[in-house]
Amino acid sequence: MTMRDHSAIEELLSAEVLGGLDDRDREALYREMGEHGPDCPECRQLRDEYGEVAGRMAFALEPVPIRPELEEETVELTRMQGQGVPLRRVRGGRVVAGLGRMRPFGVFSPLVAAAAAVALFFGGWVARGLIEGGGPPFDVATARVVTFQGEAGDLAVAYRPGQTGAYVFGSNLQAPPSNRVYEVWMFQEGTPVRGACFRPKPGGTSLTYLDANLETAQQMAVTVESPSCPSAPTTQPILTADLT
Amino acid sequence: MGSALLFEERSAEPDRGDAVAGLDVTEARDRDLVRAVGRGNEEAFRGLFRRYAPSAMAVARRVVGQPYLAEEAVQEGFLALWRNPHAYEEMRGSVKAWLMATVHNRAVDLVRREETQRRRAENTGPHEGLVVLDDPAESVVDEMGLPEERKAVRAALEALPPEQRAVIELMYFSGLSQTTIAEKLSLPLGTVKSRTLLGMRKLRSTLSGMER
Repeated sequence: MTMRDHSAIEELLSAEVLGGLDDRDREALYREMGEHGPDCPECRQLRDEYGEVAGRMAFALEPVPIRPELEEETVELTRMQGQGVPLRRVRGGRVVAGLGRMRPFGVFSPLVAAAAAVALFFGGWVARGLIEGGGPPFDVATARVVTFQGEAGDLAVAYRPGQTGAYVFGSNLQAPPSNRVYEVWMFQEGTPVRGACFRPKPGGTSLTYLDANLETAQQMAVTVESPSCPSAPTTQPILTADLT
Repeated sequence: MGSALLFEERSAEPDRGDAVAGLDVTEARDRDLVRAVGRGNEEAFRGLFRRYAPSAMAVARRVVGQPYLAEEAVQEGFLALWRNPHAYEEMRGSVKAWLMATVHNRAVDLVRREETQRRRAENTGPHEGLVVLDDPAESVVDEMGLPEERKAVRAALEALPPEQRAVIELMYFSGLSQTTIAEKLSLPLGTVKSRTLLGMRKLRSTLSGMER
């Protein structure tokens, strides 16, 4: 053991693992630990042992039976991860969109797609502005919603003019052929710009986030592509939307 | 899938006469499952979910107060496991503590971000106190090793001086910051901090004597 004083770090860490520090004290903790460096054995020991205590405190409570569907929904979310869809879930009739501060990946429930698609297509939730979320909130009351035309199903895009980010909602979508995906394109002065790839969920719903500013696009389209998501369309559009 | 898992197919209970051995077995199984999750094994993920989601749900519901938010915290915690199982470092502690801490962090983040804390306080009044109920129903989930864990953690908490325990419970189970607790209990912030430290030192000392 070194002679360095760890009393301040211990005091802060013992509260941090309980979730009890405010921002100022958390900054103080990071500053103190930073001065000791990442390899300080005492700091690591304190962090690990207090962390273990805090984690185990959860077992003081009675376990709560979970909804039978929750396991399957969670597993489904693991399968969807990496698709870049930053919607989280339906909660008490509300849709939460956008990334939380601590969420490097977007996740969402199949229920979200269905509910969000229904909301957009029937307008009620849009009008009431019930989609919100982390990041900058997506205030759909001010969003522009454009529907796609085509026979492959119902698709709509919601975006805020002048701002980055758009959500493409689908329902009643036909499943693409096996080993094929749908790819969303934005056309800027006739040039296709890749948006995102997706496969509808069972039941034909989809919800896809586009990290793009649609202000510069005049049209959008969806084509059937290989899972590699080519950088230019290789088939004719099955759904199109006019943004002008 | 998962044939390499050491404990995947084993349903036999550990020797109840040797709780320590049982805990060792369950922790070894948990670590095995986390390694399997790292290989993309969905069944291993399900195994951890079935075993720990009810406990995670308990703490999440306690913190956020609303079932749908609690589900969100639990899902996010387990999804963090799926995304990056290597974030769990065996040298740092037990799988169960790591999982619970992950879910608890999510719950605290949620409750503060969405300001449900204020609404919940309005609905439920002041500090509810730790709910220490009867022995947990082992039929709820795969509870191998967990009843002993519950007893030990509860005993450790109950052994704390009431003022230390109250501060720690408000922080952990209600998601309150030390500053908020000081205001709520009309105590100097320094008192809240010292009670936290003293209580946590006792818990650390008590629980570190147990097998993980």
